[in-house]
Amino acid sequence: MTRDSQTDEADRLTRRHYVAGAGTLATVGIAGCSGGGDGGDGSDGSDGDGSDGSDGSDGSDGSDGGSSELEIIHWWTAGGEQDAYQALLDGFREEHPDVEIVDNPAPGGAGSAIDTVVQNRVIDGNPPSTFQIWPGQALTPYTDEGLLEDIGDSVWDEEMRNAYLGDVVDLSRPAGNLVAVPINIHRLNNLFYNVSVLDDAGVDPTDIDGPEGLLGVFETLDAETDVTPMAHQTQSPWSSLQLWESIFIGEQGVDAYQTLIGGDVASLEDEVRSALSLLADYLEYIPEDAGSISWDQGNNDVISGDAAFLHQGDWAAGQYRSAEDFEFESDWDMVPFPGTSEVYQSVIDSFVFPTGNPSPEATEKFLNYAGSVDAQERFNPIKGSIPPRTDVPMDEFGDFLSRQFEDFQNSNTQPPAIAHGTAVAPAIQSSLDEVFANFNGNQDVDAAYEGIVNSF
Amino acid sequence: MASSIFGALTRDTGESQSDDESPRREEPSVRTDGGTVADSAGDPSNATVGDDASALDRLRRSRFLESIPFWGPPALLVFFFVYGAIAWNFVISLTGWEGLGSPDYSSLSTEMYAQLLSDPSFAAAFRNTLVLLLAFTIFSLILGLLVAILVDQKIRIENTFRTIYLLPMSLSFVVTAIFWSWMYNPTNGLINEALRGIGLDAFTQAWLADPQFKLAAIIFALMWQFSGYCMVVYLAGLRAIPKSQYEAARIDGASTIKLYWRVIIPQLRASTMSAAVVLVVFALKAFDFLFVLFGVNPGQSADILSVMMYRVAFDRIQWAYGSAVAMVLFAMTLGVIGPYLYVQYRRGEL
Repeated sequence: MTRDSQTDEADRLTRRHYVAGAGTLATVGIAGCSGGGDGGDGSDGSDGDGSDGSDGSDGSDGSDGGSSELEIIHWWTAGGEQDAYQALLDGFREEHPDVEIVDNPAPGGAGSAIDTVVQNRVIDGNPPSTFQIWPGQALTPYTDEGLLEDIGDSVWDEEMRNAYLGDVVDLSRPAGNLVAVPINIHRLNNLFYNVSVLDDAGVDPTDIDGPEGLLGVFETLDAETDVTPMAHQTQSPWSSLQLWESIFIGEQGVDAYQTLIGGDVASLEDEVRSALSLLADYLEYIPEDAGSISWDQGNNDVISGDAAFLHQGDWAAGQYRSAEDFEFESDWDMVPFPGTSEVYQSVIDSFVFPTGNPSPEATEKFLNYAGSVDAQERFNPIKGSIPPRTDVPMDEFGDFLSRQFEDFQNSNTQPPAIAHGTAVAPAIQSSLDEVFANFNGNQDVDAAYEGIVNSF
Repeated sequence: MASSIFGALTRDTGESQSDDESPRREEPSVRTDGGTVADSAGDPSNATVGDDASALDRLRRSRFLESIPFWGPPALLVFFFVYGAIAWNFVISLTGWEGLGSPDYSSLSTEMYAQLLSDPSFAAAFRNTLVLLLAFTIFSLILGLLVAILVDQKIRIENTFRTIYLLPMSLSFVVTAIFWSWMYNPTNGLINEALRGIGLDAFTQAWLADPQFKLAAIIFALMWQFSGYCMVVYLAGLRAIPKSQYEAARIDGASTIKLYWRVIIPQLRASTMSAAVVLVVFALKAFDFLFVLFGVNPGQSADILSVMMYRVAFDRIQWAYGSAVAMVLFAMTLGVIGPYLYVQYRRGEL
């Protein structure tokens, strides 16, 4: 009996021990969790400029991690883009073999995924070394909170400032300080066309009188040929938004456009409505399946001769280059969108220097390199864009880009683009995207005008 | 509920205690528990608070307390990371947090909810979510029931049919969204080609572009994916009904339709309930499907709350407003799950 009860006791004790042990573990674990949480809250709430406090701690983190690892977040993962990015990295490695590059792509067309990744990391106080972003107003969420380092002295030296055109430099300082290094420029107001289709229809694209005149050409093509007058996609709203921008500039000029992106829509009611109703007319002449395709699927129709025109940024030319038996000037060509020949509407990519940087030295090296002639000469011919520096030799760029570069240097103005982030803050851009998503469906000019007014 | 369990547990140990010889077991427990118990034991007023002490005693050796280390940590973790996160989300929805700074918790207001009520895109998203929820759930259930009844007819290669119907469910939304966008293509998609093939050219549509058909096209694609799941649930329900009931109904002279309508379907209520809850939850998070098809801007004809939540929070960096949309979505989910859990609890199935 005694023995029995003793074993019983021993049993109970082991069970107790086990239970107590589990309890202790749980307590410690929870204490650890809540301790961490409290710490985070404290640093956030206690002082008004909490971001500075966390910067300090990040700095110390960075020195632990080793300052020679350069983490780059970008969205260049599609064919030609990826090759261009690799060429850029190769050049950088040649100049700085000591820096190890941690490549961190956030795929998704035109930055649809990268924003989420970068924003979350910046809010968590764990920014990458550098990341790809549109300059201009797209930077404002970061500059508003002082999350980008001023690189006016460290990167933008006198020589570099002189090499960039004024409007481009301005886009790199949305809040006064220079915070971004533009690496390429795409033109947005292009009208690509299939030469033989237009020849057959007897249309001379260099002789189109403004956006209204282009509508007349569409009508002619529709009446006299079997081709689709304009390749276009309405699955996502941005293509219609950028087309509307070009129509607006073509009809009203760049000054009115600058007023518009400044937010004063009400004073331009008639102008905005006129561009909207012309866009609605254009949408009569797009492929039947525009709602189910992407822009490059639409562009295939231009290559095959099933569509005549395409309004798109000059990244579309990359598709023509890789198509077989489809040569510049003999098979395809491009004119500035009617009414915008003096305008080089710019879509730009840039790199920035986030505060609390894990690798300040390597980032500075990279940004200096991105602003150099060598980097832009390697990157841009493959990307299909022109360099923002005006002193890059154009030998490698081919006929089309050389002509674009000439247009760029002769252009009167290089206004930013709404659909590609440089012209308006992200919240306004997203709201306008929604307006044009609706407009693609219902072509309701009144509702779209109200939507545009409410977006700003 | 917790108190009743607790009561049952303490009572239970109380009984076992009287069966056992308690003094021997009491001693080690006092030692291990240390301070507090030793104090109460050494308390001179021990006799007067005898009842309290025995209640304490009982509390101490109750299975409820003993079991805490086992269910306590996971419960705490779930509470912290799930319900804590929901509560925090609610607090954020009361701030005006925008941009990449930190939220300001000093001035809380329901302004975001007021803004929701006057936002036309919220009204559209809310309406679409409701339509999607109801139409998708009801039609999937009906379709699943019909297929289940057909498969239940002792046909040959029944397993093959079952697999074929269930297979879409195993595919990711991303995959099905992409190939439905090909099927719906107005010029060379399968749907329009089939309509043309049987001479119904007049019915061909730009399914995913025309605001009239956009939402219906999405609902149809989702139905295709989930009716197989309903079929499996219903099939299990049908198999549980004894053969004798079919035979009795036949002998009474019931037609097939009457047999199912009066005898069989009323017994499938539990299957319907559980399938419906799963469908509703999937309908509320049909985010992936729309995101793959249209990105963050499906337009007001197909926008749903989960897409709007993502658009507002991550595209416009308006965290507070996005949190408010999330709370509405949460309330809708709770509105479906809550009654279901309550009914299950009442029936003692929980």
